[in-house]
Amino acid sequence: MPGFRQGKKRRVLRLFFATDLHGSEVCFRKFLAAAKVYEPDVLILGGDFAGKGLLPVLRRGESWSARLDGQELVVPLADYGRLEADITRRGFYPVQVTAEELDRLNSDRDLLDDLFRDQIRAQARRWCDLVSERLDPRIRCIITPGNDDPVAADEIFEASERVEFPSFRVCDLGPFAMASLGMVPYTPWNTERECSEEELTKLIDEMLAPLSADAKCILNFHSPPYSSTLDDAPELDSTLKPVIRGGRPSIVPVGSHAVRAAIRKYQPVVALHGHIHESRGVQKIGRTLCINPGSDYSSGVLRGAVVDLAEDGTCLDFLLTTG
Amino acid sequence: MATSDVSAYGMSGETGGLFIRQTSGLVRELGIPAAVGISLASVAVVNTFINFNAGLTAFPKSDMYLPLLAGAIIWLAAMFAYRYLLRAVPRAGGEYVYLSRIVSPVVGSIAGLGIAVVFTYILSTNAHFAAAFTPFMLSGLGSVFHSSAIANAANSVTSDAWVFGLSLIVMVIVAALSLSSVKLVARIIFGLILLQLIAFVVLIIVLAASSRSDFVSALATYSHHPGAYQAIISAGKASGVAFGTSIASMIAIIPFMVLNYNGVLYSYYVGGELRRPGRTYLYASVVSIVVLVVLWGGVWALLRARVGLPFMQAQANLGAADPTVYGKITNLNSVAGGLGYGMILTSNPIAKLLFATAVPLAEIAVNLAFVTVTTRVLFAQAFDRLLPVRVAKVGERNHAPNVAIAIVVIVGAGFCYLTSFVNLSNIVALQSLFMALVLLAGGVAAAFLASRRPELLTTGTGGSEAERQAFLRKVTIVGVLTTVLALFTIFEILSHTSVYGKFSAESIVTLLVVLGAGPVIYLIARAIRRQRNSLDLSLAMHELPPE
Repeated sequence: MPGFRQGKKRRVLRLFFATDLHGSEVCFRKFLAAAKVYEPDVLILGGDFAGKGLLPVLRRGESWSARLDGQELVVPLADYGRLEADITRRGFYPVQVTAEELDRLNSDRDLLDDLFRDQIRAQARRWCDLVSERLDPRIRCIITPGNDDPVAADEIFEASERVEFPSFRVCDLGPFAMASLGMVPYTPWNTERECSEEELTKLIDEMLAPLSADAKCILNFHSPPYSSTLDDAPELDSTLKPVIRGGRPSIVPVGSHAVRAAIRKYQPVVALHGHIHESRGVQKIGRTLCINPGSDYSSGVLRGAVVDLAEDGTCLDFLLTTG
Repeated sequence: MATSDVSAYGMSGETGGLFIRQTSGLVRELGIPAAVGISLASVAVVNTFINFNAGLTAFPKSDMYLPLLAGAIIWLAAMFAYRYLLRAVPRAGGEYVYLSRIVSPVVGSIAGLGIAVVFTYILSTNAHFAAAFTPFMLSGLGSVFHSSAIANAANSVTSDAWVFGLSLIVMVIVAALSLSSVKLVARIIFGLILLQLIAFVVLIIVLAASSRSDFVSALATYSHHPGAYQAIISAGKASGVAFGTSIASMIAIIPFMVLNYNGVLYSYYVGGELRRPGRTYLYASVVSIVVLVVLWGGVWALLRARVGLPFMQAQANLGAADPTVYGKITNLNSVAGGLGYGMILTSNPIAKLLFATAVPLAEIAVNLAFVTVTTRVLFAQAFDRLLPVRVAKVGERNHAPNVAIAIVVIVGAGFCYLTSFVNLSNIVALQSLFMALVLLAGGVAAAFLASRRPELLTTGTGGSEAERQAFLRKVTIVGVLTTVLALFTIFEILSHTSVYGKFSAESIVTLLVVLGAGPVIYLIARAIRRQRNSLDLSLAMHELPPE
């Protein structure tokens, strides 16, 4: 592992962390390209890799058509690739359907759920293949889930030989141990990986308590700590509309009390978070550097963080990136 | 896995719309009414009286209809530019993000720091406005509470030292309130904006219900001078005030009216929350601009009809050029403009109270909002390692950005001192200049959008290549047009030394500090990091190849 002297400290590990790609193909490709630009030892993709939207593409005679942003997109059959690229760039899954299939999707929620699940799993497979093809074998690639990721996709990553998927586990990063957790406190959306703060505390303690007191630890927890500015999100009313106060959307902290307490208790070197896309930032809680690189996946922009760690278990330097 | 019951874009037509999974964070629910509310709440409506007054003082032969319309046209052009920027970068951001993403990360960082300093300067000038209006507030309060002690105090707080002291008090009040919870601050801002709007509406009613002779006799009574109205016009004539109107004056005054609309496009700052951002933003901005043109145009028409343009021209100029002569005729504050007219026309104590406190309260509301925005800009700089990370540190107890607030208040206090004691220039002109520069940043970002980041602009895949090229050209034209209009505004300010004031060493140094802080801090931060062998700052915004 290449290291360099920085004052009296020696860098032993460089991480590149990005999160909340939500199915954006272009962002995932940039994530892999980040290995060449930032020269990390480990690439870490935090939770919420799965896309949010599925766009039916209907065949009409000699053309394909889809409706996006209120616009009718129509291309000749031969140009399907262009249409597909436009849709996947935004993190949506294009699905070719007939008029009958579309009717069924409109009326059958279970069918739609299955289709979503299939698309997410297929994308997970494609991404694992891309990692194998493109990533320098000396660089580790770690992907962990977030609350928006279906549990059904876990097995795809777990089966990969190239991608590591240490969900709810502590993995070894040389002199450091990294604990990963995709669960978040309850949200208004009732997603797949949510629990109460008490349960979250229990899950965290189960992972971290066995570590020795002098272990140099990194947290990769999807939920940011409560009231850390890494967790500022619009306050929503009962209909999920943003609450407006004083002419502005009211912003409230939505992070986890349990995560904050765990950071205080275990004082890891670095805590990596995501979940709240607009709360890109850095905060120190005690000795811990907490980072949420934010997400701008819908613009095709990869936001991330480069973190240099020293052999004495301290954080040497960091940089939030936009690429 | 649950899917939502609604398609985000509807299911009209034969082709299905987008199916959305039930996932966290999909908000995008602010519609046109909410976006209009955000835009209008961001405009300090009572400040129009400051700008009417400053305009009449600098350009006596002005009429406000054309400048109000021209200001609206400039913002309409800018609105289209920001619409394309919002379409390309739908997340909340602002000029810093747009320039970083589209032109260059370095230019963005520089603009970000510049904007932070400009916003801090504007904080201080808002505090200065509040301080300058304190005499008017005290005389109003004296009248409401029938207290000669309060009314007399108005005459004691007009010196530079008092204005500086009062500006500081305003800054401290704003800082103290900013340290409260975000929710409480939002409620305070909302309350203050509401009071300001009520004052504005009451003033319209008072003016509409009065006649010219009502005003003449009210001024006579208030001034204890039976011919005060005519005496002010005559004294104005004697001191050489130019009456009537001229096109040249009306063109020259446009920058002040541009400043009037500042905030009207601010719904783009919450772009990520708007439902169908481009469309919602466009409609909301047009509605807001039209409402303001009608409202301000209507108020100006009322002022012309009830008070008369010659009187307003004479009062604004005599009060500024020869306050002794003016003071001998009346003790009505010459800079209070419409609020002052309302004050003497009404006998209702609640209306008087509203008029007396409207400007100071509005400035506190605007400053509270500005502190939030400025601290966020500082955060962004800290996260980009241009400023120390501890700038973004949040207090353990109050969860407020104490360090950033302290920096903003201390730097703002420094600007308060300069504004009070150093002849920097006409403050309104300087504010107009800075706002025009921010507008210029937006225009430049839009002008470069189609050539630098065409992939961010989708026209709908169905369009032909020729149609796409035409669309990209349109985006560039709108960006260039906004840039040209912003440059015109800047040129108008700088080319009229009678308004801006002749450049002095102090004003040049202040301009350099405000505009040059960005590049200097960027270069220092980069050099220090290179020396320490830290991560290279240029990596922070390195464009990653997707392939």
